[in-house]
Amino acid sequence: MGDKDIDMNKEKFTFVSEEEKLREDTRPSLTYWADAWRRLKKNRLAMVGLAGVILVMLFGVVGPYFFEASYSDQRNDLRNLPPRLELYEIGDDVFAYVTRDYNFLIVEEETGEMFNVERVNQEEVMSGRIDVDEVLSPSQIREQRDAVEKTNVNFYQLDDEIIELDYANKLAAGDIEPEDFYKITYKGNTVEKPSVTVRNKAYPFGTDGLGRDLLIRVMYGARISLLVAFIATLVNFIIGVTYGAIAGYEGGQTDTIMMRIVDIINSVPLTLYIILLMVMVKSSGGLGTIILALGTVYWVGMARLVRGQVLALKEQEYILAARALGVSTRKIVFKHLVPNAMGPIIVSMTMMIPSAIFTESFLSFIGLGVSAPMASWGTLANNALSGILTYPYQLFFPAFAIAITMLSFNFLGDGLRDALDPRLRKG
Amino acid sequence: MGKYILKRLVVSVITIFLIATITFFMMRAIPGGPFTRERPVPPEILRQLEAKYNLDAPLSEQYVDYMIGLFTFNMGPSFSKIGVEVNELILGGIPASATVGSFAVILIIGIGIPFGIISALKQNKPIDYAVMFLATLGVTVPSFVVATFIIFFFAGRLGWLPTFGIKQPLGYVGPTIALAGYSLSFVTRLTRSSMLEVLRQDYIRTARANGIPEWVVIAKHAVKNALIPVVTYIGPMVAGILTGSFVIEKIFLIPGIGAYFVESITNRDYTTIMAITAFYAAFYILMVLIVDVAYAFIDPRIRFERGSR
Repeated sequence: MGDKDIDMNKEKFTFVSEEEKLREDTRPSLTYWADAWRRLKKNRLAMVGLAGVILVMLFGVVGPYFFEASYSDQRNDLRNLPPRLELYEIGDDVFAYVTRDYNFLIVEEETGEMFNVERVNQEEVMSGRIDVDEVLSPSQIREQRDAVEKTNVNFYQLDDEIIELDYANKLAAGDIEPEDFYKITYKGNTVEKPSVTVRNKAYPFGTDGLGRDLLIRVMYGARISLLVAFIATLVNFIIGVTYGAIAGYEGGQTDTIMMRIVDIINSVPLTLYIILLMVMVKSSGGLGTIILALGTVYWVGMARLVRGQVLALKEQEYILAARALGVSTRKIVFKHLVPNAMGPIIVSMTMMIPSAIFTESFLSFIGLGVSAPMASWGTLANNALSGILTYPYQLFFPAFAIAITMLSFNFLGDGLRDALDPRLRKG
Repeated sequence: MGKYILKRLVVSVITIFLIATITFFMMRAIPGGPFTRERPVPPEILRQLEAKYNLDAPLSEQYVDYMIGLFTFNMGPSFSKIGVEVNELILGGIPASATVGSFAVILIIGIGIPFGIISALKQNKPIDYAVMFLATLGVTVPSFVVATFIIFFFAGRLGWLPTFGIKQPLGYVGPTIALAGYSLSFVTRLTRSSMLEVLRQDYIRTARANGIPEWVVIAKHAVKNALIPVVTYIGPMVAGILTGSFVIEKIFLIPGIGAYFVESITNRDYTTIMAITAFYAAFYILMVLIVDVAYAFIDPRIRFERGSR
């Protein structure tokens, strides 16, 4: 094998150009964050989560600017409109919608705009129909009127025409069976069935019991829920990191006492405290209170996490070096220790945001949240509860928004955990 | 061992004492009192009432009274429910809360753990995906949404369940599912990931290499170790399920303690607030304690002397 003569023809080889030589060994050195981002990008679920988070934030922050109406604008005549409308075509291109509380609306086909049609008194309509040429005694008038008077009928006036709305079927069906419809008489024609089902163009998510646009309310709800979640998480972050870092770095007796306090706080059923705290500071206004309550209560987990990280990190040589160089304690903690523990901290913050949203909606749900007319998702869900059987869409949209947000943050958090700390990778 | 439990018990009592103290002062800081009405009560009557309930004594004296009351389990009468002792109130609420709560716990343990194990054993198979999909959904949907959905769909549309109350046995189904939902999903996920981790360990491979039947490997070697983190979670969870059930009790109109708690705060019913808070806290701490002790039993690696969790 050794003395095999290899034909080495020099002409077969050329020198590598300078550029090519360089390319060979310049795989860019990645910082911790760039590396984490690269790994996060590979995780499809995490990217879906990230996209979801960005979408929800855009929805809440930018969304309301596209609409003129505000979250508190009420239209009393347009209460409880569902997102899908069953329209009755009562005349040529005249579409009508009847709400559950017998509001008679004319719907513009193109724009989806709705107009309330004035209801007129049955007696007035009747008096027009009763033949009063001959002089009748009051009792005779009453008799004649009773003969034509109809029960379960409402009358509405549209451009001098009387519309008759017969809701007897609807009433008999107990408002649950969808097959039973109104009978509408307009200009002598009677329509017995809705002809089309269309999207509610004016109110894509429908309206609530006070005629407020649910889409806009869900958008503002997103603002409030996200705001509460972010600020509460930030407060938790500041308290937790400071507390945990001090306990971990100081060690010894300080650590023992500080951690004993954390243990005690940890064994308190926090829900009780949030409720008490909310009631206690309620007078100072909704939003601030809820942020305060959430922010001051949930930092315990963060403090433990940071303490653990700091305990491990402070034994490393670079801390010794920093100490030998005379760096102040504060600088060591906040410049050297905390930034190096940032990975797990960020993961835990991402997980804290959904739980803050959860708690906030829970509090709003039991009536301790932001005050009306402001509304978070929890408040919206709570308001929808009373009419759940008749207007289920009022619950669906805020609940869906909560679920999407939770899901997005959970996916993102899982992905971040894998990306920032591969050792913790699960499954 | 005994020393450890004793130490923990002492710490627990101190904790309950601290909790009660904080509650007392927080409660008194809430504006308004138990006899504040829309129409002001005449001053003479107010004075009489306050004298009757000892509210005119100095705060420090009242504090001592409340503490004595708490630790002797005698808080006296409720302020807002005339003629009802706080003890009766709590004892009256326990059966409903506890029944729903224990059904939920049974559901969580009976379904969550087996499905977590199955999911881990069939990793990346359709059943795993299905279970994980449901579990992820369960963690993301708040309990009140689950509850309202059950009322809307199963009670309203299909009429299978009663819409509220627990008079009929079927009435328990809704609250139990709504109460268990989140923890059930969490336990399933936890069991799965813990099981996956254990299955990768060397001793499992050794056991298999020794020719031990697969189900023995799973049941005897893997599951036992995989359940340790699950047990740690379940303890506080049991307490949490009972303390966190205000919403479910409100939606399903269950006459449990949770309903009284929120009500007592809005009514400034001082004795009831104190008693319920202390009761919940004591229960919670007890559960954590039981788990810690059980934990030490299951896992010999944990030394009692190391103390806190």
